Amino acid sequence: MLTLAILAVFTPLIGFVLPMLLLQRQPRAAQAFAVLCSAVSFVAVLALYLQGHGATDKLKAVFLISGGFQVEFGFLLDGFSRLMGLIVALITLCIQVYSLGYMAHDPARTRYFSMLGFFAWSMLSFVFAINLLQVFIFWELVGLASFFLIGFWFEKPAAAAAAKKAMIMTRVGDIGFYIGMALLLREVATFDIPTILDPASGLIAAIAPGRLTLITLLIFIGIMGKSAQFPLHTWLPSAMEGPTPVSALLHSATMVAAGVFLFIRLYPLMAASHATMTLVLVIATFTMILSSTIAMVERDIKRVLAYSSISQLSFMLMGLAAGGLFAGFFHLTTHAFFKALLFLCAGAYIHHYSTNDMAAIGQGGGRKLRGVTLGLIVGGCALAGLPPLSGFFSKEMVMGALHHDGRMLYLAGGLLGAFLTAYYTLRMIFLVTRPATTQTAHGHDAHHGVPGVMLGPILVLTAITVVLGFFGTSLGHGLQQEVEHPEIVMMMLAVGLALTGVLVAWLDFGRARAARVGFIAAFPPLRTLFENAWYVDQFYAQVVTRLVMLTARVCELFETRGMDGSTDGLAEGVAAVGGRTARLQVGWLQVYLSSTVAVVALFLIYLGLR
Amino acid sequence: MTLHSFLLLSAVLFSMGIFTLLERRNLIAMLIGVELMLNGASLNFIAFNHFTAPVPAIGQIIVLFIIGLAAAEISIAISIILALYWRRQTSNVEELTDLKG
Repeated sequence: MLTLAILAVFTPLIGFVLPMLLLQRQPRAAQAFAVLCSAVSFVAVLALYLQGHGATDKLKAVFLISGGFQVEFGFLLDGFSRLMGLIVALITLCIQVYSLGYMAHDPARTRYFSMLGFFAWSMLSFVFAINLLQVFIFWELVGLASFFLIGFWFEKPAAAAAAKKAMIMTRVGDIGFYIGMALLLREVATFDIPTILDPASGLIAAIAPGRLTLITLLIFIGIMGKSAQFPLHTWLPSAMEGPTPVSALLHSATMVAAGVFLFIRLYPLMAASHATMTLVLVIATFTMILSSTIAMVERDIKRVLAYSSISQLSFMLMGLAAGGLFAGFFHLTTHAFFKALLFLCAGAYIHHYSTNDMAAIGQGGGRKLRGVTLGLIVGGCALAGLPPLSGFFSKEMVMGALHHDGRMLYLAGGLLGAFLTAYYTLRMIFLVTRPATTQTAHGHDAHHGVPGVMLGPILVLTAITVVLGFFGTSLGHGLQQEVEHPEIVMMMLAVGLALTGVLVAWLDFGRARAARVGFIAAFPPLRTLFENAWYVDQFYAQVVTRLVMLTARVCELFETRGMDGSTDGLAEGVAAVGGRTARLQVGWLQVYLSSTVAVVALFLIYLGLR
Repeated sequence: MTLHSFLLLSAVLFSMGIFTLLERRNLIAMLIGVELMLNGASLNFIAFNHFTAPVPAIGQIIVLFIIGLAAAEISIAISIILALYWRRQTSNVEELTDLKG
């Protein structure tokens, strides 16, 4: 068990270190080695999953000791982490194989595959972490991997800026997480997760409600940063500057899901505070609608998918905050697969047509790439929640949880989100597959098709997306979670809304003589609002950046004029005094003698007066 | 002829010596001032020896020392001044400011 866990987690680390150090000049060997490490890791995780049988294994060892306080790091292998680990390892393997094709001509491939290994190590360590400090460390490392991968093409200023933005924004969230962790430590005196969450230990129940709300809110701020919720969401669309496989792996399926997974991992703690759960619900609902509306008017295929990821993460959080632990987790699972699938299809289009613009891809003859288009349609319909794909099952569970919770406002928000999701997804599909006009594809790519290494993972993920939904109930029971199915009325309502979205998208984009501007064009102020992403980025640029620069300027003035100025002034003062005093050294003997005589005379007077 | 008059005389001689030392620009004149100071101090010793401590005659011995040392010191000082004069062609102390800092 321990061997498997170590193999699963540390093989990607070897896949990072070895190529980076030794294989910089042999990119083919490097990428083969990286894929091999991914494969080994996947097999190990699969073995862990299959041997699990619902048991929870805790393997830990002392990592550091400070006075009387011990921190033990290790592996927490329960149903959730085994399944999550499986998702991470499988999707990583798919992405590694896909990247063999996508990055085939990139001169810096070694660094790319190594960083993917670094990411996989950090993510798997995060998933299996047993100690909250360990969780935090790997949470940060995952963010670092994201920085390196978003800024992979660092010569492009936009990519470097996007990497910086992602790092800084998630860091802001991480401060909240860190403070929350520290406050929690003060209350429960341990970082060990099973101990904290164990109801028998009564640790959570012993925390005062006000403090509990504060702690959970701060941890949620960390989740907001990592899982791109309003207002810390703008880094995710910018992160699309990175290579598309990176977007598929990090920014749809795994890294951004780390926030949601943290929520799941700490669920008893988070659920204990009703106020926080409500706030999460509010923020998640708002973010879902915000990002869906922006996706509705985006032209870049990757940004549509990025905003879609934000909106689906919100949906997961809505389910969790409404009390549906398994619902949120299952949606995380299905979303990981169909979103990765969608990104890989987008990457195939981008690779083939050298453009991110959906209309341009469509006009280049998007649907000629048959396998890719199939994947796009399957993934898109899953995202829209159309039966019998996996997305339908998981969305239904979340809707059921929202309905069960009873607060209709959030359920209405979820349903609106479902409609918008179906709309923008089918808009994307129609723009790509049913363009207004088709030009003949230009250049050498016209007949060369999609490489097998790229098509393979797409087909694998397509297959998973189709069948995963039917395993929902069995997965849930495997995790000893109650699986609630919503009422038939709710199901019909949700599916109906999705189909309405499909219909409106068809009318707007799919028909032969469609206008291809979307119904939102009828509301120009709204359309402007959505096209500018609700002006959040502009707000940050104007207000926040200025505030930060102002503070930086104050600090700089304090440093140069204040600290340096005072020290320099002191030095100059001393030098000036020295200069004045040096004038006494005139070299003229009688001046020296006069001063001597004067001093002696004064001394004699003093003695005489005493 | 009390002790006080001798002490007063020696004080006058001493201060005249200091004045000469500080005021005159010629190095030889400064030496004259130094001689005056030494004589003033010697007179002081002798006066105390005569009026307050005649036995043993320590004061007289000190004065003899002073006279001998003054002679030796003057010879050294003159040779230094001569050497300085040969090099710098001046015996004006205002111009001898090489140690100015």
